[in-house]
Amino acid sequence: MSIADATLIPTTKRAWLTPARTTGLVLLGLLALFALLGPLLVSVDPTEQDFAASLASPGSDYWLGADHYGRSMLARLSHGARLSFGMALLTVATAAVPGILLGLLSAWRGGWLERLLELVSTVLLALPGLLLVLILLAFAPGTFGPLYLGLALTLWIEFYRVTRVTAAGVLKQTHVEAARLLGFGTGYILRSLVLPEIRPILITLAAFAMSTAIIAISTLSAISVGLRPPTPELGAMIVELLPYYAEAPLHVLMPGILIFLLVLGLQLATRSDLG
Amino acid sequence: MNAPVRFQSLTVSGLEIRAGNTTIVRDVAFTLSHGRPVTLLGASGSGKSLVAHAIMGSLPSGLSARGIVKLDDDDLLAGSPTQTRARWGRTIAILPQEPWLALDPTMRIEGQVGEIHRYLHGLGPAEAGKSMRDDLAEVGLGDRTKAYPHELSGGMCQRVAIAATHAAGASLLIADEPTKGLDAALRDGVVDRLREEVDQGRLLLTITHDIEVAAALGGMIGVMLDGSLVEFGPADEVLDNPQHEYARALIAANPTRWPALALPTAGEPIVSATGLSKRFGERVLFDGFDIAVRRGEIVAIVGPSGCGKTTIGNILLGLVRPDSGEVQRSPGIAATRFQKLYQDPPAAFAPHQTLRQSFGDLLRLHCLAWAQAEASMRRFGLGQELLDRRPGEVSGGELQRFAILRALLLDPVFLFADEATSRLDPVTQKEVFAILIEAVRERGLGLLMVTHEAALAEKIASRILKLPA
Amino acid sequence: MKRLVLARLLQAGLVLLVVGILCFVLVRALPGDPAMRIAAGRYGPDANITEAAEAVRRELGLDRPLLVQLGASLGQLARLDLGHSVVTGLPITKELRIQLGATLWLSGSALMLSLLLGPPIGLLAGLRRGGWVDNASLGGAIVLRSLPPFVLGLVLILVFAMLLGLFPPAGYGAWRDLALPAFTLALGLAAVSSRVARDAVAAVVRTPYFAFARLKGLPEPVVVRRHVLRNAAIPVVSYLALQAIYLIEGVVVVETLFGIPGIGHALVHAVIARDMPMVQGTALAMGLLFVVIAMAVDLACHWLDPRPKRA
Repeated sequence: MSIADATLIPTTKRAWLTPARTTGLVLLGLLALFALLGPLLVSVDPTEQDFAASLASPGSDYWLGADHYGRSMLARLSHGARLSFGMALLTVATAAVPGILLGLLSAWRGGWLERLLELVSTVLLALPGLLLVLILLAFAPGTFGPLYLGLALTLWIEFYRVTRVTAAGVLKQTHVEAARLLGFGTGYILRSLVLPEIRPILITLAAFAMSTAIIAISTLSAISVGLRPPTPELGAMIVELLPYYAEAPLHVLMPGILIFLLVLGLQLATRSDLG
Repeated sequence: MNAPVRFQSLTVSGLEIRAGNTTIVRDVAFTLSHGRPVTLLGASGSGKSLVAHAIMGSLPSGLSARGIVKLDDDDLLAGSPTQTRARWGRTIAILPQEPWLALDPTMRIEGQVGEIHRYLHGLGPAEAGKSMRDDLAEVGLGDRTKAYPHELSGGMCQRVAIAATHAAGASLLIADEPTKGLDAALRDGVVDRLREEVDQGRLLLTITHDIEVAAALGGMIGVMLDGSLVEFGPADEVLDNPQHEYARALIAANPTRWPALALPTAGEPIVSATGLSKRFGERVLFDGFDIAVRRGEIVAIVGPSGCGKTTIGNILLGLVRPDSGEVQRSPGIAATRFQKLYQDPPAAFAPHQTLRQSFGDLLRLHCLAWAQAEASMRRFGLGQELLDRRPGEVSGGELQRFAILRALLLDPVFLFADEATSRLDPVTQKEVFAILIEAVRERGLGLLMVTHEAALAEKIASRILKLPA
Repeated sequence: MKRLVLARLLQAGLVLLVVGILCFVLVRALPGDPAMRIAAGRYGPDANITEAAEAVRRELGLDRPLLVQLGASLGQLARLDLGHSVVTGLPITKELRIQLGATLWLSGSALMLSLLLGPPIGLLAGLRRGGWVDNASLGGAIVLRSLPPFVLGLVLILVFAMLLGLFPPAGYGAWRDLALPAFTLALGLAAVSSRVARDAVAAVVRTPYFAFARLKGLPEPVVVRRHVLRNAAIPVVSYLALQAIYLIEGVVVVETLFGIPGIGHALVHAVIARDMPMVQGTALAMGLLFVVIAMAVDLACHWLDPRPKRA
């Protein structure tokens, strides 16, 4: 309902650090520590086999138990988390930097550059991203190269498009025209007027792209076209343990829970619809 | 079809509206009867709209109303929510502000009027269809029943909304800013229509910020300020001899009542253009248009919305290229001495920067001192504490004064005011123009103003250029 | 409306181009003799491969400039001449025809199921913002969005097939086999569509036309039925075009996980076997399926929203 007297009604301002956001950031922090420090503290080789400990339950010898080859689940999970984080960060950085720069350039200059980039992104978007990655993977299944290339190739488009649209929106605004009339130059306008307004949406987008990359890498590994055992990749670990679900259901679920927590943390930390 | 009018009067006394424990509207009392409509005047934020919604029983959640609101003997505030709801349409109807937004964009208008007969009065489809056609024919839309809202003009949408209230059969009509967003010609049409409603015997309460509308409706006028009704009386008494200080300021702020303005003779031309033409697609905005603005004069361009007034100012500033024609600026003057004031003050400032940041950056860019800005702030009645707020947290009037201050810091020779006061209330409008006129007089500034308000232009402009629709 | 169909036909052409060029480049970049691979793709593995390879080399002129070869290859693709699988030796169009049935059943039932779940929940949540349905569905959506389809499928298998024994964990034939995979996809889709619907309904509730419909005196259910449903459906339906991506990607994963002999399953196996003609054929089929869904969505939006379209 629109009421002209809205200014009379007292409003409460929402803080940036909501409980959900705090939870998400704490969760991400803990997982990052696990991924960074885990492999250092647990000095067990994640590929070292100990058949006596095959499918050991969580306990004193193996904190989180051992898999069917008797490899330490804790070591494998922390290496898996590091791998997921690392690969997702690398992929997203590769996608975000050119995406954002090209988006800004396109919004600022327009013309043939914008038309060319629009064409390229339309062509790439014609096909669902996973299909593109799958076709590239046919070149060398089980390796990181095509996986990384394919994901970056699909993810940059979102950064490019969002940056271009929001930056163009800001550039069209009255206050930018006013700034030009007041004598401010291009550098100031992009740095001080455009960037602060598109930063929040880019952070959300980066988290979203991280989630997409984490999910895609583990999914492709789980359907045997991504990274393959014995690499401690979370998706591959699930498939490897799947035949033993009856004896050790918790072992099968553990890597899944880790993926879940990673993506949940990213969502909680950046979603704007959480109170 | 007009339902018989069943009520004689509406009495409001001791009305109070609270948000939690804060009282935001207090001591509102007035009576409204047959042939004596009431018009509540006031700036946005004065609480006049809340009064309308309190009577209707449609306050936003979190707000509550107390006091007495009686329609004949029926106490409107006493009933349960269900009883309140049952009165909507049948007894009290609200005419929405900006009716083109209040109609469902995906439904033909026949559906939006017909559904009232069908679901409120329980008529069959055939009967409901017939009544709907009568309602729309009565407001002159008998041949447009199949239209979607986007195919109708603003005035036509207003009439659809009126047909909807007729269909419902309400005796008390509340018009909430019925002329918001309409230009002068359409505004008069809406006022005529409302007068007709009064003549047909309906009770009418109008909420407006427009003194002209209040004067044309007659009856009783109330003036609201900061949540209180500060003046109430017969229209001609309030307009000719207001008692309360704010009411006096408000009435005096009407441009037709401004004192005559005498500017010294204008100087040499600062910017001029000859043979300007511009088209948008098929439509020719203007062709062969000449304009010159000299030092120390106020030139006004008037015309209905969409006629290209703003485009001319933007061409003079170099923001828009004309399709043909020449613009000449007097030589040797820095580009930053040509400035612009915008219609929507908050839009002219970066939303995420505090005013201190924006002004700091500007002063640094042009090597100016804070002392200069602070001196102007004192002169314009702007407090230091406002500097630490963002544009969204400062009122429109204050922000427009900041915008003028910002332009004047660059010692402009030419200022283009694009509907610079159309979003401000009359009192603030007068204050803003006082500052502008002073700058024209003292600095020999050339002011180009664009407005849809003919009365305003006639009062202060040295020359008026009219653009046709 | 013509423009909508035309735009999607253009997209179909682009899908053809992207898949065709990528596969062409990959076939030539793969180690080994491309003539050999193409010959095997065309005549099946049983043919006298060396002779056939020579024939292919002469016929296709694999020594010709690459661009000429690419043109010829895309021309074949445009006539839907997809060649033979290197693995089974069967014509790919024939294999696709069989697989398409399974894929359509799975994606169709998943989409229907998600529409039965998501939008109604979203409607309830949007009408009572901050109510328990809103909060619970927000929590559910976040949890579901954090689960990749294969993990979600796994959890469903563990719970419904292993623990409760209600549905078979894998297989294809009876409707019961489809239940878990369809539900896996539908939950993921509904997690998003319920929030889109909730936001759409909440946006309609804030509009002046919703307020006016109530103030006209219409009873609440009439206001919801006549003024909320259609207006809120517009963003929900147009968002389905984006959800089609999730659906197609999910189908690939879920078919593989549950062993459903559809196109996605075939695509993954072709990738593992480096069966390039099959990769090309299945990717093309999935890509075109995506375009068809998107086109249906466009037309539905056009019908729902009478306002003139911008640009």
